[in-house]
Amino acid sequence: MNADFITVLWKEWKEIVLERSSSGAGSYRPLILIAVLGVFVPFRMRPERFFSPEQLLLPVFLCAFVITAVIADSFAGERERHTLETLLASRLSDRAILFGKIAASLAYGWLISIAAIVVGAITVNVVNWNGQIAMYRDEASWLILLLGPPLLGGVVATAGVLVSLHAATVRQAQQTLAVGFMVLMLGGVFGSSALPAEWKVWFARMLLTWTMAGLVLAAAGVVLAIDLALLLAGMARFQRARLVLD
Amino acid sequence: MAELAIRTQGLTRTFEKVRALDDLTLEVPAGSVFGFLGPNGAGKTTTIRLLLGLIEATSGSAQVLGFDTRTQGDEIRARSGALLEHSGLYERLSAEDNLRFYGRVARMPKAELDQRIQELLTHLGLWDRRKEAVVKWSRGMKQKLAIARPLLHRPGLVFLDEPTAGLDPVAAASLRDDLAGLASRQGATIFLTTHNMAEAEKLCNLVAVIRQGKLLAVGSPTDLRSRGGGQRTEIAGRGFSDAMLATLRQHADVSQASVENGRLILVLKNGAGVAPLVSIIVREGGEVQEVRSGQGSLEDVFLTMMEEDHKE
Repeated sequence: MNADFITVLWKEWKEIVLERSSSGAGSYRPLILIAVLGVFVPFRMRPERFFSPEQLLLPVFLCAFVITAVIADSFAGERERHTLETLLASRLSDRAILFGKIAASLAYGWLISIAAIVVGAITVNVVNWNGQIAMYRDEASWLILLLGPPLLGGVVATAGVLVSLHAATVRQAQQTLAVGFMVLMLGGVFGSSALPAEWKVWFARMLLTWTMAGLVLAAAGVVLAIDLALLLAGMARFQRARLVLD
Repeated sequence: MAELAIRTQGLTRTFEKVRALDDLTLEVPAGSVFGFLGPNGAGKTTTIRLLLGLIEATSGSAQVLGFDTRTQGDEIRARSGALLEHSGLYERLSAEDNLRFYGRVARMPKAELDQRIQELLTHLGLWDRRKEAVVKWSRGMKQKLAIARPLLHRPGLVFLDEPTAGLDPVAAASLRDDLAGLASRQGATIFLTTHNMAEAEKLCNLVAVIRQGKLLAVGSPTDLRSRGGGQRTEIAGRGFSDAMLATLRQHADVSQASVENGRLILVLKNGAGVAPLVSIIVREGGEVQEVRSGQGSLEDVFLTMMEEDHKE
């Protein structure tokens, strides 16, 4: 299983990188994202703001955004390019194929968000140089840095792979994902504003009793549970006969 | 009895109301090049999918390399190679990476894989362009690479689903030569589906004919020719009208009647005489200048079978 997983990961990684390096303007897209979040945004920022936990949400969402663009291609792309049946006719196990595809897109998104954070940290230090290296100092920041991209990216990757398994084309998968995330976000915003006022007060009071690191860990736990639920759904949906005949 | 690579018994697959494969009972000896012939939609691809354990049979059973397709699909896929309806190549990747991926999937040791990639690509005349993305290649080159892929790990059984479909005659002939060479050197069982009779005649030592999911005949090409093809008669002359063709097709001794390049082609049933047919042609206003008779080709046999089955 491990060797097969690595083999699928290797192939997916090559395809992701080659697709982006052979598609004209598309080849610069990751560099543009890193430049915006790693140079342009931090350029006018004070170190204390840049190295705050809230500021880390940007690269975490960057990771999710990059994965959305990549994961739609995972199965729908293979179906569209008529390579899926050959892949399914190989000796690779269902799990090796599924996990390899998820891991490749996750690794790609993670790498870009880490690159944006590192470049951003260098930019802030260079611009505001005072003889000392500024860095993340609080626990919560390090927790977000370590857990944010893989966990939130994991939700996008596992949800994306589920959509891609169903979609006939990459475009259809991308559109479904985009609409799905928009509905989720808008639902979250409007849903929370529609809550009774006493619930909101109770919730705010409860949050105030938690430390920032505790909040991050609790949120990470919830996101991890969503990750696992989506992964199990993906494993259940991955049926060779259905995929061959779809 | 020869060892069998494939054995099916009453294999049936239905899709809603359509019976794609109907009670297929078949034995394919190990080491043979087996041609599975049939028109589009005959059930050839469904058969391959069933034999690879990719889809389940509605009823009946099949053993491939001794493994049950229903419960041991993993074992079958590990021991076989398959070129399916599409080439299955990753066009963004290079030829070398395409083969390397499937070599790694087959768990070939790196040194052996490197050697095998070089051997296959050199044999197919693709070695010098191994680093290029496949998307830049011609269709013929891609199809050659697609055939190299299932042969890479030297499997005991190779499924090839219409390997020369869509190629020009020159590329198809070249590919057939490569395939014949590779098959004979490797000694694997090859299960080849095609509707190209010349291809089947050239490559296969055993063929089966299928139509609308039903098996019509099995045997060696020579066997089938003598069994069902009868004789092929070519008549040079003039005035071969549609009405005349219709009359000839109704005749009990005629399996097929058509006009090709101005010549009347008749495929007659075994033992049928030509003289009464020449009389009919003359009576219908035709002029006969020359009559040539010979053994029917596999294509004639195939077309006859299709026509007879259609009549039934």
